[in-house]
Amino acid sequence: MAQDASHNWGMVIDQERCIGCWTCAVGCKVINNEPLGFWWNRILTTAPNEFSATSSADTITPPASDAIDVPHGTFPKLEMAYMPTACQHCDDAPCVKVCPVGATFQRDDGAILVDFERCIGCRYCMAACPYGVRVFDWGEAEHVPDFTVGYGRDYRTADGRLVFTPDRPIGVVEKCTLCVERIDVGEQPFCVDVCPTGARVFGDLNDASSEVSTLVHEDGATQLLGELGTDPHVFYLPTEPNRSA
Amino acid sequence: MATYPQSASAAAPRFHLGRTGILWVGALALIALWAFAAWIYQLANGLVVTGMRDEVSWGLYISTFAFFVGLSAGGLIMASAAEVFGARSLKPLARIGVLSAAACVLVAAITIIPDLGKAQRVWELFVYPNWTSPLIWDIIIITVYFCFAVVDLALMTRRNGDPSARQRWLRVMAYVGLPAAVLLHSITAWIFGLQFARPFWNTALLAPLFVTSAILSGTALIALAALAAERFDKLTLPLQTWVTVRKLLATTLAIDLFLVAADYITIVWGNVPRDRAALDMILPGGNWQWLFWLEWLVGGLVPFLLLVVPRGHRPRLLGLAAALILVGVYAFRIELVVGGMLKPILWLAPGVSLGSYQLGASPFQQTGVYHPTWVEYSIIAGLIAFLALLLTLGYRWLKSLSQTEATP
Repeated sequence: MAQDASHNWGMVIDQERCIGCWTCAVGCKVINNEPLGFWWNRILTTAPNEFSATSSADTITPPASDAIDVPHGTFPKLEMAYMPTACQHCDDAPCVKVCPVGATFQRDDGAILVDFERCIGCRYCMAACPYGVRVFDWGEAEHVPDFTVGYGRDYRTADGRLVFTPDRPIGVVEKCTLCVERIDVGEQPFCVDVCPTGARVFGDLNDASSEVSTLVHEDGATQLLGELGTDPHVFYLPTEPNRSA
Repeated sequence: MATYPQSASAAAPRFHLGRTGILWVGALALIALWAFAAWIYQLANGLVVTGMRDEVSWGLYISTFAFFVGLSAGGLIMASAAEVFGARSLKPLARIGVLSAAACVLVAAITIIPDLGKAQRVWELFVYPNWTSPLIWDIIIITVYFCFAVVDLALMTRRNGDPSARQRWLRVMAYVGLPAAVLLHSITAWIFGLQFARPFWNTALLAPLFVTSAILSGTALIALAALAAERFDKLTLPLQTWVTVRKLLATTLAIDLFLVAADYITIVWGNVPRDRAALDMILPGGNWQWLFWLEWLVGGLVPFLLLVVPRGHRPRLLGLAAALILVGVYAFRIELVVGGMLKPILWLAPGVSLGSYQLGASPFQQTGVYHPTWVEYSIIAGLIAFLALLLTLGYRWLKSLSQTEATP
């Protein structure tokens, strides 16, 4: 299960293609056996504009609704876009900087992971994450139906750190693992595989000819809250009318 | 809302461990035991028994932690101000001050424990420290500060040896203690202030604000403790001491509110949505406006008037002002910790997942909701009781050492 240090994984999410069906979010729940009330990946309803991936929260008017699929704006000038949001796997990740015991760490290939056996559950990383993508095991995990689904086994990194377990311990923080157990054996993250519209592209940013590299370097994919300088490995392609290219 | 030991003590118990003293200590011990039981219950079930969830992921525990750290300031300020700034009138409060510094910072450190999801792994903080984490810096300065206060106390209470050498050492301690206190409160502020993910925390004002509110609340606690000692233990402090305490409280209260106001005006005038989001919840009209009123009216304007209007020393009014100041500073801690988490930067539907599920309720929260539970209230009441217990017993101990001196 050795990971190849020469990889530099990246993901691009095409907001023009995303139809807000939540298949990636549900697929994520299934493959990772996420307990009730846990969503490592969720589809935020937002408004498209030039920086649709970065500025939609910068409106003093409250979000159109607590509910998903409600357009932003005032009739007849309504607009809507979807922003699937999970861990952005930042190169300068605030969660890694604040973790007092180094339980959250970045692998050489860019994936940010949490060591289930190291985390003390102080939740400083949740306070420090600008994307709100971390979830905490508040109590005994509940599942309906009550059996393990998905990957179903523990997964350890090459240096032996437990970064996934289907049986959640109480009191640790968890989040998207970029499906390390899958990418380490040459597969794609599950959300990429299950997306019915091909809105998600996964690949190696070190490989200049890969599709993700092209989308990032030529088609102007942007980073979510890029102005914060967290430098994520996840990129967003804005909706069509606003694309620069 | 927290209760404060001295206002409760006014009801019946006396500080000397007579019958009432034993009652007082016993009551405190019972509350602390109850809190311990609540913590065991929380350990067995997980933090799901608290009101915290994925969106408001820090609550009363961390607010109270910051509050206790602040309370510890008064001590070394009292002890050091006499030496460093020549404020001799504060000298009689030096010992109570250093005692309260040691007790408060110890209880503050303990307050982190119930907030941990895996309390049994707390030793990892010392084995696998990550030096970029402000939490590690804070644990170091808390340890140093506690040891410093204990040594200072030992020096103050030593009766044998060369008194002039002791005085020299106390002077050195005073000069080291002041910057150590400033560092302690700054680092505690930076736990929050360095986080750009929470715009409401992310202000350079936070460190000076924490230092000021620490001096304010720490002095208020010592004033309350000394007033209680005067009332129940025949302690008499010189009038000049009370005049200085009153001036110190009024001045730091004014500076504290000035700093908060400077922060508010920057946010409101700039009107940057990301910055406004949290403040809008706290200003009048918001869901959390009670924090604003507690901070500005109950813990701001009222105690300020109580401090500056009366002529001469009025112990009851001073005690009331000090208690209200503590209420106001506690409200400020909640305002900061919880208020800062109510609206995430990506404030979009459906929000952040809760991390727990109730049939028929959404598993998401867009704007944070936080209702502390009986477990949190119990544990915090227990920590306050434990602090009062330490102060009571510590005071008795100081008293027993200094039968011949006017003030313990």
